[in-house]
Amino acid sequence: MAGITWHYVLKFIITGDAAVGKSSLLIRLTDQRFLLNPDPTLGVEFGSKLITIPEENKIIKLQCWDTAGTESFRSITRSYYRGAAGCLLVYDVTSRKSFTNARSWLADVREHADPHLTCILVGNKVDLCDADAGAKRREVSTEEAELWAQEEGLLFVEASAKSGQGVEDAFVKAASDILSKIRRGVFDDNRSPGVKLSKPHTNLTMETGAVKQRCCS
Amino acid sequence: MEFLSQTYVALRGPTGAPQTPSDTIGRLSDRLSPATLLADRRAAVLALKGLSRDCKHDVGDLALPGLLEVLSNDAEVDADIGKAVLETLQILCDAEEGDAASKELGFKHTDYVLANEKATHTLFALLGDQNFYTRFATLQYLSTLLQNRRQLVQGYFLKAPTGTGSVVSVLEDKREIIRNEAISMVQALISQSPDIQKVLAFEGAFEKLFNIVMQEGGIEGGAVSSGALACVDGLLRFNSSNQSYFRETPLPPVLCSLLLFPPNLQLRDPAPQEFALQFWDAQKQTNAALAVGIMGMLIGSKGNSAQEASAFTRCLVEIALASNAPTPLKTQALRLLPSNLSFPLSELTLTPYMPVPETNGEEWDRLEPASALDVLVELALHGEYNGLEGGKRIKDELELRTAAVAVFENFVRKEETRQAIVQAMLPSDVAGQSGMPPMTPLLHALTAPPNTVSTLDPASVTSTHLATLLFSHLLRSSSRVKSLARLITPSPVSALPDQNAGTFFVPADGPPPAPPPDVADDDEPPQTLLQILSENLSLSFLSRSRASTSDRESREWDRIVVGYLCLLSQWLWEDPQSVREFLDAGGLGVLVEPINQTTEVDTIVPALCAFLLGICYEFDREPGEITRATIYPILNRLGVDTLIGRMSRLREDERFKAVGPDAIVLPYPTVSYLQPSLRAEAEDEGEVWFDWAFVDFWKSNYYTVQRGFSTEPDQLSSSASGQNAEATMLIASLRDVIRNQSQEIENLQRKVKELSASNGDEVASLKAEVSSLSAKLLQSEEKQKDVEKEQEDLLVLLDEVTTKRKKDKARLREAGHEVSEDEADDDGSDE
Repeated sequence: MAGITWHYVLKFIITGDAAVGKSSLLIRLTDQRFLLNPDPTLGVEFGSKLITIPEENKIIKLQCWDTAGTESFRSITRSYYRGAAGCLLVYDVTSRKSFTNARSWLADVREHADPHLTCILVGNKVDLCDADAGAKRREVSTEEAELWAQEEGLLFVEASAKSGQGVEDAFVKAASDILSKIRRGVFDDNRSPGVKLSKPHTNLTMETGAVKQRCCS
Repeated sequence: MEFLSQTYVALRGPTGAPQTPSDTIGRLSDRLSPATLLADRRAAVLALKGLSRDCKHDVGDLALPGLLEVLSNDAEVDADIGKAVLETLQILCDAEEGDAASKELGFKHTDYVLANEKATHTLFALLGDQNFYTRFATLQYLSTLLQNRRQLVQGYFLKAPTGTGSVVSVLEDKREIIRNEAISMVQALISQSPDIQKVLAFEGAFEKLFNIVMQEGGIEGGAVSSGALACVDGLLRFNSSNQSYFRETPLPPVLCSLLLFPPNLQLRDPAPQEFALQFWDAQKQTNAALAVGIMGMLIGSKGNSAQEASAFTRCLVEIALASNAPTPLKTQALRLLPSNLSFPLSELTLTPYMPVPETNGEEWDRLEPASALDVLVELALHGEYNGLEGGKRIKDELELRTAAVAVFENFVRKEETRQAIVQAMLPSDVAGQSGMPPMTPLLHALTAPPNTVSTLDPASVTSTHLATLLFSHLLRSSSRVKSLARLITPSPVSALPDQNAGTFFVPADGPPPAPPPDVADDDEPPQTLLQILSENLSLSFLSRSRASTSDRESREWDRIVVGYLCLLSQWLWEDPQSVREFLDAGGLGVLVEPINQTTEVDTIVPALCAFLLGICYEFDREPGEITRATIYPILNRLGVDTLIGRMSRLREDERFKAVGPDAIVLPYPTVSYLQPSLRAEAEDEGEVWFDWAFVDFWKSNYYTVQRGFSTEPDQLSSSASGQNAEATMLIASLRDVIRNQSQEIENLQRKVKELSASNGDEVASLKAEVSSLSAKLLQSEEKQKDVEKEQEDLLVLLDEVTTKRKKDKARLREAGHEVSEDEADDDGSDE
């Protein structure tokens, strides 16, 4: 409890086609539960979580903005790229189309986001293609996605918001990557809008100590 | 200047003929084309700017496309032309000033500018320009556009490539004028657009805005602080995503700190004095109201941590009950407390303050600590600072007191709480000593008899009236609390005015003044609360009808009567026991008279009397002296139609109609046209008649009461319906059965008693007889024995005689005398 509760605050956005499970990933991360019938996200919702990066021995506060994948909200979603440190680009492994569209989402990210933004490609819904007979057919193979991720310099993970498999892993991977960039000095604190040290660089310091304790609950 | 005049000469043309403005504007507009030199374009824009005020129509018609062209091409490059073109556009699109036609033109030009997204995007790009005039004029122009066609601009903003970044960066501008302009532009930009609110929050607008507030000196910081806080409010209100993000930031406790309230204060620690006692001015009040408003919003929305909510709630409670904050701020703080108040009001100890007289609010006395609940009730009953201004009835002050009543209502929403509070008013029989019942301030204010001797003190009227409101919140629709309340026997309150006026006791002053030691009337049973209330009601009616009272005073009597009647209506509703007690206390006579006498002015008292009479009739279901059969003829004599007519007039009365869930304080005097002599004594005097709970109660029940008037005495309650009616019927019949059976039992018991009594007598007499008889028997047996003995003796004698006779006969025969033979054979059986 004592001392600093987190070392860095990282802003993440989750993007990708409609209905690939962006909101579900976020809720799985923050609440450890699965939404059976989520409504399509209108605008953007917010969630946050503390994660630990063991190799760096650092505690990270992830602030995630869940964006709307529907085309009509795309221009709004673009407004978020610039301020983010990390981006989860999500597609659905049972939908070829969502994977193809990931290219255009990536183009958006490249166009609007900070060049040093860490982007991780997340293949969601792997639970649907477990060995059971009658399961939905996988339309994007792991190898193909991995290959594309390598070509584009993205991190890659497959996950399931329903079972929870790979979800935290995706965020941890992305966060460690950002941390290593910070260590290498790619970001400096003033230039990346998505990364904040725990010490607020504002002058709102009057209650800092108290705030730290409060927020870890 | 020479350049300008040359331009004019050139424009005027060689002929020297007089030109129309539109000719000039047309030429100037031609000069805006990119083909001309930048300097020429600049000159043309400046010239157009000069003309735009007077020839808004022509400039708009002819030059607008060219000006927009300049805006997108040149403004970024040349600050002067940028400033000029922005100012010209500003004048053209202005829909604030000027006549209707000019405003119309402003909208028309705005629509043209906003026909596509290009101009708006240029403007947001220009916000990134560091040049003072460019930034400033862009902000002003954006404000104007937002004011005219907000949604359109908001739509373009979301698509603008650099929109959010540049908006947030102008909030950081070191130049005060720009920052202030930015705040007002942002306020318009985020209005009713959750998407913009979210994206700005994402870009760090909260931090920037709080930075501004802190740099300006917190809530002491004038209009800039107020603008920034209003922006924060705008970003958060109705936006749950932003609220949860905001809670993640270190900012929520800053809100408390802004008001100098330590966010980590423990429940048992007192609030610091620098928080409770501050210097206030109007601007600071506005700023504090914004901070308090944001806190209230965050308490009210879900998803907040318990700790945050309790810190905020504590802060609001402290502001309202134990600070020298301005009255409206206190009212606001009370109103923002959530309606499902779970804050332990009775456990929090507060230290209220009192201004030292004659120090102009610069010196304050600290009062004894008291529980927040006590202070709340005290505030409702007597007003701020122990009723310092209670008599004046300023509207703000009444708002605060009624807000306190509303908080109390929310606090006692749970039945257990109400029971506990009412239970505490009952005489305690701890350790066998059932001494004087405790006298709470609430009971004291409730039972204080109206001052019938001298003129009525408005302060005490208000406190009695508000006490009736508080008490009805305790009783309403809870039969258990009502039956507890029937047991309350308050110690008598002296009617002497000198004891009431001015001596409002505070819980902080220790226990309430000891009730006067038992007076001579010790032998009388103590009056119950209900009896006292009906007596006070009757006293008030008497004083009200005194001819000498002024209009103003008789209105005060009306008010106090209304208070009693409303409380009694809610108390007696669905509670036959209480109806019985009220009727036994003589309530019927009190009610009937005012129904009969009405004037034009007086509509609400007869209406309420009719209502209460109806309730009495409806729920007079307990056996007693005054039954439904007794009331029925009275109703008929008054006329059912008349009664309904009286009741219906209440709904037309402004004092009733104007009451809303959040608005129960009315300006004094409401419906003044009926009593032209009434005039407010203070500038903003207010008055309270009904609270929303009663209005609601009336609206849901008046119809039942009206129908009840026309039911026969032996008919079932008209309020019952459906299954309920069946149940009532069943209960009624069971009651009958029980009543009959108990009567029978009683008879039988009497008989048994009689019988057992008579049986005893009989046994005794029989016993006596037996003993006498056995005595007699003994006697007769003895007699018999004697007789037998005698008989034996006689037989012996007879035998002797017979023997002797035989001898004699024999002797006679021997002697030769004739002797009858038969006699000898008879053996002496006859003589």
